[in-house]
Amino acid sequence: MGTTLKYAVIDPTTGKIDRRIFSDQAIYDDEMEKIFGRAWLMIGHESLVPAVDDYFHTYMGEDPVILTRDGQGQLHALLNMCRHRGNRVVRCDDGNAKRFMCAYHGWTYRNDGTLEHVPGETEAYYDALDRPNLGLIEARVDTYAGIVFATWAKDAPSLEAYLGDARWYLDTVFNRVDGGMQALGPMKWLEPANWKAMVDNCSDNYHVPTSHLSSASVQSRFLGRPRLSHEDQFNSPNKHAFVNGHSVTFRDADDDQPRYMHGVSDEVMRLFKEYHEAKMPEVERRLGALRARRVQLGNHSIFPNGILGFRLALPRGPLRTEFWHFVLLERDAPEELKRALRIGSQANNGAAGMFEQDDVDNWRQVTEASTSRFARQLPQDLSMGVGHAGSHPDYPGLVSERYISENNQRLFYQRWEQFMNAESWADIPLDPMRARFEGTAGMRG
Amino acid sequence: MATKAGDGVTLTAQQALWLELMPFYIREAWLLDERKFKEWVDLFTDDVLYFMPRRKNVPRREAERELTKLGDLAIFEEDKRYLQMRVARLDTGMAWAEDPPSRTRHMIGNLEARLLENGEVEARTAFLVYRSHLETDHQLLSGYREDVLRKVDGGWKVARRTIVLDANVLLDKNLSVFL
Repeated sequence: MGTTLKYAVIDPTTGKIDRRIFSDQAIYDDEMEKIFGRAWLMIGHESLVPAVDDYFHTYMGEDPVILTRDGQGQLHALLNMCRHRGNRVVRCDDGNAKRFMCAYHGWTYRNDGTLEHVPGETEAYYDALDRPNLGLIEARVDTYAGIVFATWAKDAPSLEAYLGDARWYLDTVFNRVDGGMQALGPMKWLEPANWKAMVDNCSDNYHVPTSHLSSASVQSRFLGRPRLSHEDQFNSPNKHAFVNGHSVTFRDADDDQPRYMHGVSDEVMRLFKEYHEAKMPEVERRLGALRARRVQLGNHSIFPNGILGFRLALPRGPLRTEFWHFVLLERDAPEELKRALRIGSQANNGAAGMFEQDDVDNWRQVTEASTSRFARQLPQDLSMGVGHAGSHPDYPGLVSERYISENNQRLFYQRWEQFMNAESWADIPLDPMRARFEGTAGMRG
Repeated sequence: MATKAGDGVTLTAQQALWLELMPFYIREAWLLDERKFKEWVDLFTDDVLYFMPRRKNVPRREAERELTKLGDLAIFEEDKRYLQMRVARLDTGMAWAEDPPSRTRHMIGNLEARLLENGEVEARTAFLVYRSHLETDHQLLSGYREDVLRKVDGGWKVARRTIVLDANVLLDKNLSVFL
């Protein structure tokens, strides 16, 4: 492009990024418009609202949103803001309700958003209120394998196009079995860090043997899990790939082992392997042999703020993020396995998780380094593996040559620039879909 | 049943139990605040469940849904092995969330205890735990514990602990301290 772009924050040839994007209020405000106002955002899971009239309170960026299932079973994402003065019409985390009444003046909405009742509509408003146009503001909603996404952008592409070939990888966890998945959670806590620091960390496997060595070493001693070393990581055949802003890392191995889970014992992994083998014919029918047997999703993020599994980094100002941790379990897995994976999930990630505890101060200090006068003038260095990524014969997206690479992180900030510099969705490119989706699994499961 | 104290004051069984348990909880608080975690973890039975449910905003009339049940995602759902693992982690020199360590102060009070038919005791306490970390991070954690205590080799041990925080969105950066 010949014109000067407003945001040029990363030099892809050197990996230098301008630190101010982690702390500047004006940039943050722009992110809320141009990224959180446009992107398809993960907001929940169908299993959180299983019955008609169920609702679950969630957020699109900072905007409070009620995810509802109406009387016909249809999902809605409704801005939790009474159209009269702006009070929230829902103050609970979840529940079952046909209607939401604003506690200020009693305006009452159906769970599909329709404004049904206004006290004094005739007597006080002289029947002059435009009630049909004062329903709760509704976002576009769509689902992928039970995960609910919503967007405010009328011109956004379909969710299927938005996920693009990233779904080829995501399917290996989220779309693996006929019975689908069930979400438990969330636990919620506030972290003193910029939301992007946690999202880009999802592709940073370089930090694991340093940040998480204490946890990995006690899990090896107490749970019989393999030890963790830099050497193993540097020599790993596993890979990184990037599609449309979504970062995936994946295990690339033909050894019929189930997906690696932290926080669970060796005995549980044996149980998991039995289950993995028993399910293989079903998984192969759904995903084809390559994805069923060879590819296993590792750490990943869904642009902009979906993190490693089903977790959300909800921005709360440039220096704060509300973190939501869910665990997703295969609904039909044996109870014993579900229990172990649930326990492993809280032991590892979440507010008290052994791994995650040790991440927070890293993200926080990376953020705060952009607030002091001298430090903020110095760029971050994300140069690892520049020039060592490209297309791959078997795997979609832009694939790094090595497992330990900062390629996905550089691409994440380039995607960020694309959103931040775009006038509308027409300016935001989508990678062409090239993956062969073998098997029966589709967008709806 | 009444117990005769040395100076002729008569205690009810309830009061005697209270007097026996309060020093147990005070001792535990000092072990935590003095970072004697190996001794602390010995206060739990081998079959302990150390459990912290999530706490939700629900309508008053649906109060039974406020705390998530065992089986749902919890903040802590640990057995003795996991607790020992967490304690061992602190000695690795690389448990960054607690190295340098937090400065904590556990204030435990409002004890109510009830002897069960099987000889175990149900004990409820309230806590205020202050945590200070690194330079200026600090947090006041408020909540209550519901313990089942069991006599093992003449001393009390915690056989089940349920910790309930008075918070919906936890305001701290992580929960790397024990409650």
